Amino acid sequence: MAIAKAERLMNLALCLLGTRRPLSKRELRESIEAYLEAGTDDSFNRMFERDKDDLRELGLVIATVEGLDGEVGYLARRDSNRLPPITLDAEEAAALGLAAKVWQQARLAGAASGALQKLRAAGLPEDVDPYEAHGALEPRIPVHEAAFEPLMLACRDRRPVVFDYRKANAAHPETRHVEPWALECWRGHWYLAGFDRDRGAERVFRLSRITGRVRSRGTGFTAPVPDVVTVRETVASWAGESADRSALIRLRAGAGYPLRARASSVRELGDGWDELEIPYGHGLDAWLVEFGPDVVVLEPAELRADVVDRLRAVAKG
Amino acid sequence: MAGKPVRPVNAIDQTRRMLSLVTYLRERPGARVEDVARAFGITEDELVSDLDVLPMCGTSFRGGDLLDIDTDGERIWWHNPAALGAEAAEPLRLAADEATALLVAARAVATLPGLREGDRQALLRATAKVEAAAGEAAGASSRLSVTFESEGGVFADVDRAISERRRLWIRYYSPARDEVTEREIDPIRLVSVGHTYVEAWCRRSEARRTFRLDRVAEIKILDEPSAPPEIELRDLSQALVQPAAEDPEVVVEVGPGGRWVAEYYPHDSADELPDGGLRITLRTPDPASLRRLALRLGRDGRIVAPSELADSARRAAREALAAYETAYEVGYDAAYGTGQGTGRGAADAGDAGAGVPAGADPAGGPHDRQEQGL
Repeated sequence: MAIAKAERLMNLALCLLGTRRPLSKRELRESIEAYLEAGTDDSFNRMFERDKDDLRELGLVIATVEGLDGEVGYLARRDSNRLPPITLDAEEAAALGLAAKVWQQARLAGAASGALQKLRAAGLPEDVDPYEAHGALEPRIPVHEAAFEPLMLACRDRRPVVFDYRKANAAHPETRHVEPWALECWRGHWYLAGFDRDRGAERVFRLSRITGRVRSRGTGFTAPVPDVVTVRETVASWAGESADRSALIRLRAGAGYPLRARASSVRELGDGWDELEIPYGHGLDAWLVEFGPDVVVLEPAELRADVVDRLRAVAKG
Repeated sequence: MAGKPVRPVNAIDQTRRMLSLVTYLRERPGARVEDVARAFGITEDELVSDLDVLPMCGTSFRGGDLLDIDTDGERIWWHNPAALGAEAAEPLRLAADEATALLVAARAVATLPGLREGDRQALLRATAKVEAAAGEAAGASSRLSVTFESEGGVFADVDRAISERRRLWIRYYSPARDEVTEREIDPIRLVSVGHTYVEAWCRRSEARRTFRLDRVAEIKILDEPSAPPEIELRDLSQALVQPAAEDPEVVVEVGPGGRWVAEYYPHDSADELPDGGLRITLRTPDPASLRRLALRLGRDGRIVAPSELADSARRAAREALAAYETAYEVGYDAAYGTGQGTGRGAADAGDAGAGVPAGADPAGGPHDRQEQGL
């Protein structure tokens, strides 16, 4: 029961925050109705440990102190739990208001609202969102991948993970042992960068290709974590965006706008065709084939051969 | 409000909220329910359910020091603020997840090309202050990052047109038909989900349409006022375009190298095939628009149904091949090679990359409603 749990957590938090001396488990049990009703010592102990973990997730720093009588006591000290002074003007408040709404993932959406509420309690001015005034800008961070939350926690806590991963062209998934460094969202898809223990090198994984559950492996990291982890550059190069060569194609007049948009030169041939020079990166052959009879590759020969090859596969059906 | 994430009832979130609430209410006797709900970004019902729980909370349920907080539905009264010592009611430091969620989002929005400069500066200032206040808790936020893609110039024009309530003229590229069309639109809002889109009322089709900014070839702000009809805003975060039930069905079978289709195209089902491939069933208002997909797949997949679509892809491929044979006859052979298939196969460009469609991101392409009936 969500309500009952929130009430219990709230009471535990208030007890720990309100006390000046450590409170023993016994004292806490007697102060909080839900604990008195917990039944056996065992079930109380389990509940108490879970609740402490939950409050720590909320950012509460709970100190464990051993008293003179050997009994362990708990308290949330004022100086370690107080938000340092922070003053934000109305514009800054509005900007944070916009940012707090972008997460689509339940855990982070809750955390972002929670952060804003804490700042609000600390005096964050009531905002008039400059965009919300006319409701015109809605940035949203999509998270559709089931692997996201466990990997986010593993990156946060620097815990190695194991998962089954299916490479783009592989028929079957393969088990990968990874020390996860960072997650990055680009063009609406999430990627993980980390140290692949089996390959002994850095790898980038696309979260949508992780099959099954992400399992945690208790031991720490074995490889150093680089200061800067760049995922986007790697993925962009796979997506053919770091072309170092160029290709020459013929394109039917009026067709292929995106090819024209990135062409370095366009020459009208006058016979209903144009000649374009375009960047030639990974995957260009597959893209050119999409334009069917409206594109003819002139050079290089390698690209021309790849396109013809692909067209033959389709023509054979 | 449309587009607002659905907040599940969650004990952690509620506890977090109630802790901030007691701090907030302690300073504001007689606060209005409406104002508090707005300040906390929650509904009045959610606030009232918190107010139902708070009187059961305190530092001990025995000593009569439970929080005596109640509401008449309009204002909130706390009759014994002394029940909570000042130290228990101070604003709490940010948790690691809270700092991460807020900072990652703020940094992402700040990099959105086209954002108004004043807003970007405010975001950057706020980010620096939150980082400082969060202290160590901010450390893990560097392990998560998000980039929004947008065409800065187009974004700025759309933003200006929305705030000045003016109509836009655009030349827009439709990948499904490989054509650029002109139209006038009344912009409603900008939505960034990976790519950035403008949702607008299209005056040409007299219907709601979404346009991806990087497909806008040209844009002009017109003098005419924008007058989009009142329409209900949908949550666009799940899928920008949801196929309708009456749309024709398309069945595609792909090998392992074509599995990306399931990642990019909203589909009804994707069943595993014994060779590691998939049988994907999807719906689209205009199956002909999937000819591009059929051509791109090559040997990595084929259209099973409808047969007209498979035929049209085959015809297009044969027609394209004929051009190479013509080129051969007129002597391109010597200069450009014979075009003999080398069967390079799929380049192993890395763990995540191979098979990701390069250049044009087909996501949303064939399903874009704006292409329907044009």
